[in-house]
Amino acid sequence: MDLFERVKQLRKEGAKAIESAATEKKLDEVRVKLMGRKGELTEILHAMKEIDPQHRREIGQEVNQLRDQFTERLDVSKKALVKKMVEQRLENERLDVTLPGRPVSLGTKHVVRILQDDLERFFIGMGYQVVQGPEIESEHYNFEMLNLPKDHPARDMQATFYIDDDHLLRSQTSPVQARTLEKHDFKKGPLKMISPGKVYRRDDDDATHSHQFAQMEGLVVDRHITMGDLKGTLESVAKHVFGQDRETRLRPSYFPFTEPSVEMDVSCFNCDGKGCAVCKYTGWIEVLGAGMVHPNVLENAGIDSNIYGGFAFGLGLDRFAILKYGVGDIRDFYTNDVRFLEQFRQEEN
Amino acid sequence: MLVSYNWLQDFLDLHEDPKALAEKITRTGIEIASTVHPMTGLKKLVVGHILSCEKHPDSDHLHITQVDVGEEKPLQIVCGAPNVAKGQYVIVALHGARIAGNEKIKRGKIRGVVSEGMICGLQEIGFSDHVVPKKVANGIFVFPEPLEPGSDVYHALGMDDYILDFDITPNRADTSSMEGAAFEVGAIIDQTPKIEECTVKEDGPEWTQSWQGHADLKLAPKYLLRRISNVKLADSPLWLQTRLWNAGIRPINNVVDVTNYVMLLTGQPMHAYDATTFANQTVEVRHGRKGEKLKLISQDEIDVDPDDVVITNGDHIVGLAGVMGGFDSEVNDHTTDVILESAVFDPALIRKAALRHANRTAASARFEKGINWDNTEKAIDIAALMLRNLASGRIDAGILRVNDQPKPLKAIKTTVSHINHVLGTQLTVSEITHIFDRLNLPLKREDDDQIQVTVPNRRWDLFIPADLIEEVARIYGYDNLKSTQPVLPQTHGGYSPVEIKQRRVREVLQQLGLDETINYSLTSTEKAKLFTQDPNPLVTVQWPMNSSRVALRQSLLSGLVDAASYNLARQNSELHLFEQGRVFNHAQGHYQEYEHAAALYVGHTQPTNWQHIDHEVDFYGVKGQVVSLLTALGIKENVSYEAGQIAGMHPTRTAIIKISDVTVGFVGMLLPQYQSQDKALRNAEMYGFELDLEKIMPLMKPGVKAQPAPKFPSIERDLSLILDKKVSNAQIISAIKASAGKYLQQVTVIDHYDGVQIEHGKKSLTYKLTFLNKKATLTDDIVNHAMDEVIESLKQQLGAQVR
Repeated sequence: MDLFERVKQLRKEGAKAIESAATEKKLDEVRVKLMGRKGELTEILHAMKEIDPQHRREIGQEVNQLRDQFTERLDVSKKALVKKMVEQRLENERLDVTLPGRPVSLGTKHVVRILQDDLERFFIGMGYQVVQGPEIESEHYNFEMLNLPKDHPARDMQATFYIDDDHLLRSQTSPVQARTLEKHDFKKGPLKMISPGKVYRRDDDDATHSHQFAQMEGLVVDRHITMGDLKGTLESVAKHVFGQDRETRLRPSYFPFTEPSVEMDVSCFNCDGKGCAVCKYTGWIEVLGAGMVHPNVLENAGIDSNIYGGFAFGLGLDRFAILKYGVGDIRDFYTNDVRFLEQFRQEEN
Repeated sequence: MLVSYNWLQDFLDLHEDPKALAEKITRTGIEIASTVHPMTGLKKLVVGHILSCEKHPDSDHLHITQVDVGEEKPLQIVCGAPNVAKGQYVIVALHGARIAGNEKIKRGKIRGVVSEGMICGLQEIGFSDHVVPKKVANGIFVFPEPLEPGSDVYHALGMDDYILDFDITPNRADTSSMEGAAFEVGAIIDQTPKIEECTVKEDGPEWTQSWQGHADLKLAPKYLLRRISNVKLADSPLWLQTRLWNAGIRPINNVVDVTNYVMLLTGQPMHAYDATTFANQTVEVRHGRKGEKLKLISQDEIDVDPDDVVITNGDHIVGLAGVMGGFDSEVNDHTTDVILESAVFDPALIRKAALRHANRTAASARFEKGINWDNTEKAIDIAALMLRNLASGRIDAGILRVNDQPKPLKAIKTTVSHINHVLGTQLTVSEITHIFDRLNLPLKREDDDQIQVTVPNRRWDLFIPADLIEEVARIYGYDNLKSTQPVLPQTHGGYSPVEIKQRRVREVLQQLGLDETINYSLTSTEKAKLFTQDPNPLVTVQWPMNSSRVALRQSLLSGLVDAASYNLARQNSELHLFEQGRVFNHAQGHYQEYEHAAALYVGHTQPTNWQHIDHEVDFYGVKGQVVSLLTALGIKENVSYEAGQIAGMHPTRTAIIKISDVTVGFVGMLLPQYQSQDKALRNAEMYGFELDLEKIMPLMKPGVKAQPAPKFPSIERDLSLILDKKVSNAQIISAIKASAGKYLQQVTVIDHYDGVQIEHGKKSLTYKLTFLNKKATLTDDIVNHAMDEVIESLKQQLGAQVR
């Protein structure tokens, strides 16, 4: 067979062999057979020496062309085979993605703590210092320093757990006011504080009463604090917690440690002020108590009430959580059913 | 205090919608808890006149009545009330009427007899049981006087009124009377109330001369008596009854009703005695004495306390002053002469007596919060006049003034500039003057700034300039105050250092996958002592509400167990709970509070899944959490865990946690509650830990000095050992650390085996030792040498064999 025939045949057979190689390994064998050191193309090249120079050139061109052709086809074939193999493998790895994932236990902040943290940050941003006080309190700080002498009728407003004649479980966070006022050095600047914490009242636990709950106290004292400042501060708190679109109103009230005393209501978020069962058909929901610090409270702490004055407020963290999230039963905060607790995870901030 | 809108019209010219007025009062003075219009929801209730009343032939209690309701023909109505009778004027619900509870009345047959409506009792048209006169409590209501048949009943019964519920704070007891309310509402709507004075023309003989009276000035600074003779006890006229029941008071008879009415009108509580009580013409106000007893009008017999204030007739006690009269001295059907009492008693003593005898009355509530000293005499005069008019009584001449101490008026000085300074307003002196005019508080201008307000005794709540500021603020209107923010020198806001640490602890606990709980501080005495290494004296409350809330907890775990029990009973069996809060004790006679943190685990470390890639909670998992927590708090050194015992914890699965030999808490399995009363806990395996943050927080020191990450590679070597079972991991680790030289970075247990492949009494432990030289690449030679030292030391000290 002359070389031209061999080339022609090799072109045909080679193409077929490449095409029929079903695996990467087979394809490699084909490559070796066609183009390896002992492969057919090499053999043809060797055989070229034996033909006349005129045809040698011609054959040389054809062989080169054929090598390029094989190289390209081998390449294409290899890519196709790899692709197919990868596809097969990926198919074998197919998962039912609709089977459930494995969640990780995440911890949850208690909803009352969420409110506390949020308000603390809010007040810290306005320059308030957070202060703590004892939960076992003396009658002196819980009542007397706050202008509630013995036999004051207002003591009946709070049923108190007494431990002995002089000690009790604090019925309010307000004693921290008295303690802080006593210690604060006004030469170093104004007093701006909040104090969150647990308080205790001798109430039977039911849907709306708890013998233990959390309050937050606030106090600002300096030379030129006005009731307008109190109003502005309370409005920003209420709107921060309950929404910028809430209306607020102040109403006269009574606390022995403030004068004037007020309570703040926000427009009912359930009915938007039209009147419903949530707001007892008044359109308003009471959210906190406040007032201008009573001169006796300042004087009791050794502060000249002719020079210094300020405002104080107290809010119930449980109450805020109840109102903000529509909690129907205050006991839910203390029975700690994990299904109840974990629903507030998304509210953390 | 329930304030009638119609009664207020006696004092003021009201045109405002009652609900709008209530909103104004709420914003300016007293919160109006509700505004009730009693006739709301009622329909077709008219006056009927019973023309005849026959027994129903087929019933032993029903009657057939013919009732004139102002129509051409009388209606036939079957009535079951025991008190129905011919001639009565009654409330008739016509066909199609609506009565209380939105019930509809229809024509029908009762035992075969047609009934064209219903004759009603007061409860049936919405009256509360506690105001319905006893006589008509179990039957139909009978009007005490003839009315036009067919006319609406609402006006006659006072149901067309609006009742404003004044929710009075303790400082505003001055509004606990119609006159007080009228002053308040008058100030709000800028009207001067018409308050009537009273002059009595006495028509009986002088009576006081022969009487002996004695009262301690402190107990009763005012104590006045009047005698009204020849009274005829009867029902009060309807107008008086309606005023009483609209104020929430049950009409009784004309004498008692008058005392209640005068109290509502003036705020001065009054009492009426049957005059025979004081047959020996002696009256005395004094402290009670031990052993004395008194039967009250309520028929309760009380043991009198030495702190009580009592009224006596010189022989025995006839009443508990300011709280309630005695049963035996009460006005009764045989009473002809009445002694009226109008007094001022010591507020604190009355308050205590009412609390002591659990008998807070409308009278005692007023005495304890203060009353208007200038109304004592006016009240007794009005009552006398009313008894003459309504009970045909004779007013005997003279008032027995046992005590009649006047109360001087107060004058409060302040300045316009001070008021504006506190309120943040720019009110002028004339605006402020106008506000005090509205309040009927006389104001005198001393100069351009200084003012002086004279406070009448009806406003005993006003003492100091701050009280005047409140009056100005509320009448000016809180709505009109400008909202501002305090303008202050800069203050540094932030948490206290202790709180920063508490917050960090809570944050890490939450990162460990624990849900935060808040549990009750008060628990039972048994639980309060659990989970503490050495229980201290408990802090207990004096009057606990129940036995499960008696003592303050000494551990947080006891509360977490309660939370676990609650959850387990509800099939929540995967629990990772923590609490950060205070525990309490009474160590060395001092009340102490300590911040703690504790966690409780039940179920699996991670949610269970269909792949079964999960692990049950166990000791080492929980201990690992403690380690992670302490590490995250920056406490890595000198932490040790020693087997130990804690009340409530498993005796052989509990470790005491120490840092530098100071106990800071414990970790372990809770003592299984196989026998627990609490079924939910019986099958629960619970693990937990409790840490004393008072010990841990001082070790949390902020301020890291940055170290670069190591540039040179570390070398790891594994070391498998066979040892006696009783050799502890802690011993091995400390031996390794002591002998491995300065490049040992870390040593960790990577395997533990004590099964059948190992000789009895032995165990196999494998450690990974990590060596690192931060300044150069370590050579194998150095590490080999270190390992030789370690092995040698383990052999020598602990008898270890290398596997």
